[in-house]
Amino acid sequence: MSENSENCNSRRNFLKMGGAMLAAGTAGCATGVTGSAVASGGPAVATGMMAALPKAKGPRLVVVGGGTSGLTIAKYAKKEYPNFDVVLVEKRDMYSSCFSSNMWYAGVINLEFLADHSFMDAAVNNNYIYFNATVTGLDRASRTLVTNEGDIKYDFLVLAPGISYDYDKIGVKDVGVMTALRQTYPGGFISPTEHVTIHRKVQEFEGGVFVQTVPSGNYRCLPGPYERACLVASAFKKNKVKGKVLVLDANPEITIKKEGFHAAFNELFKDYIEWMPSKAVTGVDVEKRIIKTEFDEYKFDDAAIYANVRGSTLIEQLGLMAPAGKSNQKEANVDTRFMNIIGDPHVYVTGDSRPHPYSKSANTSNTEGHYMAKVLAARAQGKEIAWVSPRTICYSMVNGFPMEAISVDAGYDYDAAKDAITGFSKDTKTFENRDTAKGQATLEWARGMYRDMFNA
Amino acid sequence: MDRRGFVKVCAGSAALALANWDQLALAAGFESFPPAKLTNKIGIPLKGAEIPVGEALVFSYPVAGVPCFLINLGQRPSQSDLAMKGEDGDYTWKGGVGPKGQFVAFVAICTHQMSYPQPEVTYMRYAAEGSQIAGGPGKIVCCAHASVFDPAAGAKVVGGPATAPLLPVRLSYDPVSDELSADGILGMAYIKRFFKTFKGDLNARFGPGGYRQDVGNKTACIPLSQYSGIVPAC
Repeated sequence: MSENSENCNSRRNFLKMGGAMLAAGTAGCATGVTGSAVASGGPAVATGMMAALPKAKGPRLVVVGGGTSGLTIAKYAKKEYPNFDVVLVEKRDMYSSCFSSNMWYAGVINLEFLADHSFMDAAVNNNYIYFNATVTGLDRASRTLVTNEGDIKYDFLVLAPGISYDYDKIGVKDVGVMTALRQTYPGGFISPTEHVTIHRKVQEFEGGVFVQTVPSGNYRCLPGPYERACLVASAFKKNKVKGKVLVLDANPEITIKKEGFHAAFNELFKDYIEWMPSKAVTGVDVEKRIIKTEFDEYKFDDAAIYANVRGSTLIEQLGLMAPAGKSNQKEANVDTRFMNIIGDPHVYVTGDSRPHPYSKSANTSNTEGHYMAKVLAARAQGKEIAWVSPRTICYSMVNGFPMEAISVDAGYDYDAAKDAITGFSKDTKTFENRDTAKGQATLEWARGMYRDMFNA
Repeated sequence: MDRRGFVKVCAGSAALALANWDQLALAAGFESFPPAKLTNKIGIPLKGAEIPVGEALVFSYPVAGVPCFLINLGQRPSQSDLAMKGEDGDYTWKGGVGPKGQFVAFVAICTHQMSYPQPEVTYMRYAAEGSQIAGGPGKIVCCAHASVFDPAAGAKVVGGPATAPLLPVRLSYDPVSDELSADGILGMAYIKRFFKTFKGDLNARFGPGGYRQDVGNKTACIPLSQYSGIVPAC
């Protein structure tokens, strides 16, 4: 279970971005398995019951996961190739975005902003089927996806299951402690119910220390924990709470937009935020509310403990995980450019379960989704297209009152000789001077994302 | 009357490009509408000489729910006869109207993810002086995802994630009176999608179905800084 390929696949190095281009990355690591035969991956055997779905009218594209990646691909694959018969399999029956959720904690948006978006409307508007079911297995030999609602035959399968937390990496091995942490001090970077809990914590906070941890590795939403610190501090300031946000950062420096965040911490929240670098969490005493790092212990009153991030457990369960030399976060074993499982042109993994050093953000998944829709449309017609970099346009609201934000607009370089993503593209820019224009834009950025996923 | 505008180029059909507007509407998705005189906010016809160079004016055309930008490019010359790749096919953008071809108009709905000017706030703006994301003066910028359009070149995309130019609005200019009218628009299919996307908001603002009402024979041009409460300078 341990991960010891840090030297080979250090995403952190790649993601330490100080406004300039970065080197490092996955160079030399992308050997892995090649040309493996299509195997029956998943543990589950087909249920023998077919899902209640109409007969496919064209090549069936099944998309698993109704997050940014899956919703974008379901819509745009159908647009790119109308012959596709698209089915979106999503286990939730209610959408609520993870992106933009930090803003709710300060009350600059409400829950409707995040959740007033219907899977059904997305499907009706874009001519595909939303199928409310949970994936339990996969038989790649017979191209059968197994769900709790029956089997689905596919011609093309896209798995976009997002991330899971890896508590192992913050020294929590005991499953009891892990379970307590999961529901008492959730990280708030996966499910809507975590957001609801953190929102309550912030609103109810009466004073003391609120810990926000920042994990190492390529975690989801690099600026997310720092932005949250700013917005929780904004709420404390507004509510006249004598509280402090203690940011325990596993990294030696803020991982992205560091100048903008340092400026916000120092200029806006000097009395409210304490940022401590190189403080990787090594254990948590849930009962006593103590977080342990290598040399110190920190007592807290409440916390959002963001464990390390790994590819969704679904990827592991379905037997699609990359070898440790290619991903030290249990991500999927996919082709660098076209995202198909190595050796299987019918199964793809997109979004945050990919092993790429891309920033795991909504905008990355959305733009990757637009590109992947074209890849799938081309392949369904026996063609190939050229690789296109995803784009990471990412705003961080660093002040709630008034709303002020900073942003980054990043692309990525692909090195054909290494078959790897080697760094940010030259046109990558950061906008670290916080202002109200970007504060406003942050809201519209999110609304645009929702429109792109849910509307026609 | 200098009635310049936009002509759809159907693949390989030069003859069609010379045909009149109404035939084109049938052939290629262009739609012409009754002309509307551009006025100031109290309904008096706007004179070309009064149109500011520092910011866009917003007018509705051809129906209440479609916001358009009227832009005075000033000394920056408009290009002409540009081949454009639009959402719904190719067309030729003929250039601006007016004494120096300095007046241009476009639908102010971002072709990326449909941001548009609203009474509370606008994310679409004509950044006459340039801006952080514009990369130079005289561009239309969308703050939401940093798309940049060049109004002197048919509002083609010059930066950011948008892939199609802003939809063109056809203007006519009367050199005798120094007045302008709008009389055509390209891309009603996109506008119908815009209506579907924002139906709830548009009904709240214009009354049920009000956004689909024709503007009539005149339409008021409002400076963007008055049209929207917040104009972020991104």
